[in-house]
Amino acid sequence: MGRTVLVFRLVLADVRRHKAQAAMLLLAVTVATATLALGLSLGGATQTLYEETRAATAGPDVVALAPDPGPDVTPALASLAHAPEVVAHNGPYRIVYATLTAHRTASLVVVHGAADKPGAVDRPLVTSGHWVRSGGAVLERGFATALGAGVGDRVTISGRTYPVVGIAVTAATPVFPWAPQIGPGGGPSDGGGLVWLTQSDARALASRDLPVTMAMDLKLRDPAATEAFIDAHRHTFNTRVNFHSWQFMAHQDTVMLNDTQPILVVGSWLLSFLAITGVAALAAGRAAEQTRRAGLLKAVGATPGLIAAVLLTEYLALALLADALGLAVARLAEPAIATPTASRIGGVGGPTGAIIIATTVLAVAVAALSALPPTLRALRTATVTALAVTAHRPRHRPWLTALSALLPTPLLLGLRLTARRPGRAVLHGCSTAVTLIAITALITYDAQPRWGFAQHREGWGPGLSGLPDLRADHDGRLLLAVSVLLIALATVNTVTLTWSTAMEARANMAIARTLGATPGQISAGLSIAQLLPALPGAVAGVPLGILLSGQVTTLPVSWIAAAALVILLATTALTAVPARFAARRPVAQTLSAEAA
Amino acid sequence: MNVVSARGLVKQHGHGQGRVRAVDEVDLEVPRGEMLAVMGPSGCGKSTLLHLLGGLERPTGGEVWLAGRRVDTLSERALARLRRRSVGFVFQAFHLMEELSAAENVELPALLAGRSRREARRRASLLLDRVGLAGRARHLPSQLSGGQRQRVAIARALVNEPLVVLADEPTGNLDTAATLDVLRIFEELRSAGQTFVIVTHDERVAATADRLVSMRDGMFVDDTRLAGTGTGWLGGLAGLEG
Repeated sequence: MGRTVLVFRLVLADVRRHKAQAAMLLLAVTVATATLALGLSLGGATQTLYEETRAATAGPDVVALAPDPGPDVTPALASLAHAPEVVAHNGPYRIVYATLTAHRTASLVVVHGAADKPGAVDRPLVTSGHWVRSGGAVLERGFATALGAGVGDRVTISGRTYPVVGIAVTAATPVFPWAPQIGPGGGPSDGGGLVWLTQSDARALASRDLPVTMAMDLKLRDPAATEAFIDAHRHTFNTRVNFHSWQFMAHQDTVMLNDTQPILVVGSWLLSFLAITGVAALAAGRAAEQTRRAGLLKAVGATPGLIAAVLLTEYLALALLADALGLAVARLAEPAIATPTASRIGGVGGPTGAIIIATTVLAVAVAALSALPPTLRALRTATVTALAVTAHRPRHRPWLTALSALLPTPLLLGLRLTARRPGRAVLHGCSTAVTLIAITALITYDAQPRWGFAQHREGWGPGLSGLPDLRADHDGRLLLAVSVLLIALATVNTVTLTWSTAMEARANMAIARTLGATPGQISAGLSIAQLLPALPGAVAGVPLGILLSGQVTTLPVSWIAAAALVILLATTALTAVPARFAARRPVAQTLSAEAA
Repeated sequence: MNVVSARGLVKQHGHGQGRVRAVDEVDLEVPRGEMLAVMGPSGCGKSTLLHLLGGLERPTGGEVWLAGRRVDTLSERALARLRRRSVGFVFQAFHLMEELSAAENVELPALLAGRSRREARRRASLLLDRVGLAGRARHLPSQLSGGQRQRVAIARALVNEPLVVLADEPTGNLDTAATLDVLRIFEELRSAGQTFVIVTHDERVAATADRLVSMRDGMFVDDTRLAGTGTGWLGGLAGLEG
């Protein structure tokens, strides 16, 4: 007990002394674990939402769609309704392919002819207003949200205007914009919204030579046996019948998040890498201090186990706290990210046990990778040596010193500073590459031409605009958010790395000043020391970012080049402040401190 | 002509009740070719005075002149440029760059002064030869003894042919033999006309100077000319060797 209290008190004292570093570790790991938790949660979240909606709306197990007109459709659907596997059905009902305009926005739409009182199968849940009545339209909630329409608004469907009397959700179709399921005549669908009208209103609409598909919702005795049912009935009719199982629709929901998960998971890897980079830079900067601390503890009789506990617990405790924070953030953000459309109801369950394990492993890995090397070094150092230890002596690199002698003073100083800590330079280069990867991916993603959904192939004509591409917008926003987080962490890392470099090299820089280097040259040298590894990082980041963007048809070369330039300029600007501050430390004071 | 001079030089540290005058109304003139020793107990303000003369610290009051130019009003940048060409520092703790070889350390001020790499290398080679370290040019400071490191530091201080060498306890970390080596080099340089201001609390080192100034509580309390008195350079050497 006493030992635990001692470790706790020592850790607490150290955290109090290094508040900014503790805050940085906390921030970096929180961001990484939150992103990973979100990425891993999404698959399960969409499934949960579909199942909740299906339960609340008596969703069908199979939807049968007969796209071809003719006398064989009604008998075919009737025989399905009476199949031995079927315990209940809804329909047949018309699906009319139409166009809808509201608020100067147009969209493709499918109109379902609905019974005044829904039956045992597919009972859409009215979330606002009331169910269909003659002359009134009910909009599917995801579609209504995209359209910005609500109860009381008026919508025009293929030339006829209806008041919106209700908003509802259903599990009989996939989420907006995939409500049509199949296109007119059984062809591929361009997507569209879903509107319910009364059966007579739908019939009246269909009489205007609009394409129609007849459909029927089926409830099976065994909801899991949809594939067997479909296989048994697929080719038994004189007319074409397409079947969509509830499993297919649940899967279709995940299509909305197809790119979301990779953005978050890959984003979490990159964020984790930046977290490790930043925390490792901090740990390396404190290595000498930690070694002296270990020496002090050894001198007063602490065992290696206790010393390791003191040195590691701080990082581990902060990482675990950050893990908990990250999971909490993910829990809060998940509903917004997992449901880009409003087509489903219910809540998401939050991170599962497996996800909690994954993020905890990540947090511990960040802490261990950052803190273990300096801790082991401190443990291996003899007590007397540890008490007198100074910063790790850099290696002599004669070829680089000779090369830098040919350069102007700021470059000479910058190159020599970079060479003092090549590992740190590599980390900084990688940090820059990660930032460029994110920005290049964002720019490239944004530049891709998009067909969009629910759009008329010939355009909507003057004064009308189509609906935004929900999926692309959602992914774009998410990519932007991940990029902003990456840039923020990279910014913190750049400042930290510059400051660590400046602090480690303060004696050498003070000597250089006694030899005639101006504060401006020192400041420029420190900035250049960060800029040199940033250059190859930027060069490597661009192709990696394009690669990560997936299928690229348009490459915004000028934008990407501008981004790389901006990153390098930003690195210069970010390093200028700590470099200038470090370069203006009093020389005599620094030299006296070093000599002491 | 005075290479270095100071008038009413004051340096205060701290504020309010905790204010301390490290250098208090000091007047000083160091003619060309003179070796001036400043002696005094620890904390009397010797090192601060040296830092003020070399522009490493700014005075609270008074004036500092170097080769007829007032320097205490110069910008940091101008001071740095002045140090490049006119001032050479030698520190007790050597302050060599650990990742650079002896030759690379000596070359550095020449490179900072804008000389070519070839010229910097030539000068470094000459100076290392002069301080007896021609065979150690490629050694790192960690591979050299204390005396050898200080000789590298002296070579570095001289590489740009400064008007004055400011040495802060140059033998403070050296044994007797190494001290003797350093003083021999100083004497050779003095004979060649090099101006020195040496801060020390070692009487034997001070005895090698032309002039000795004693400091206490930031003020000069004594100013004695030693050259020709029999207690100068040779006397100092005799003391060391004895």
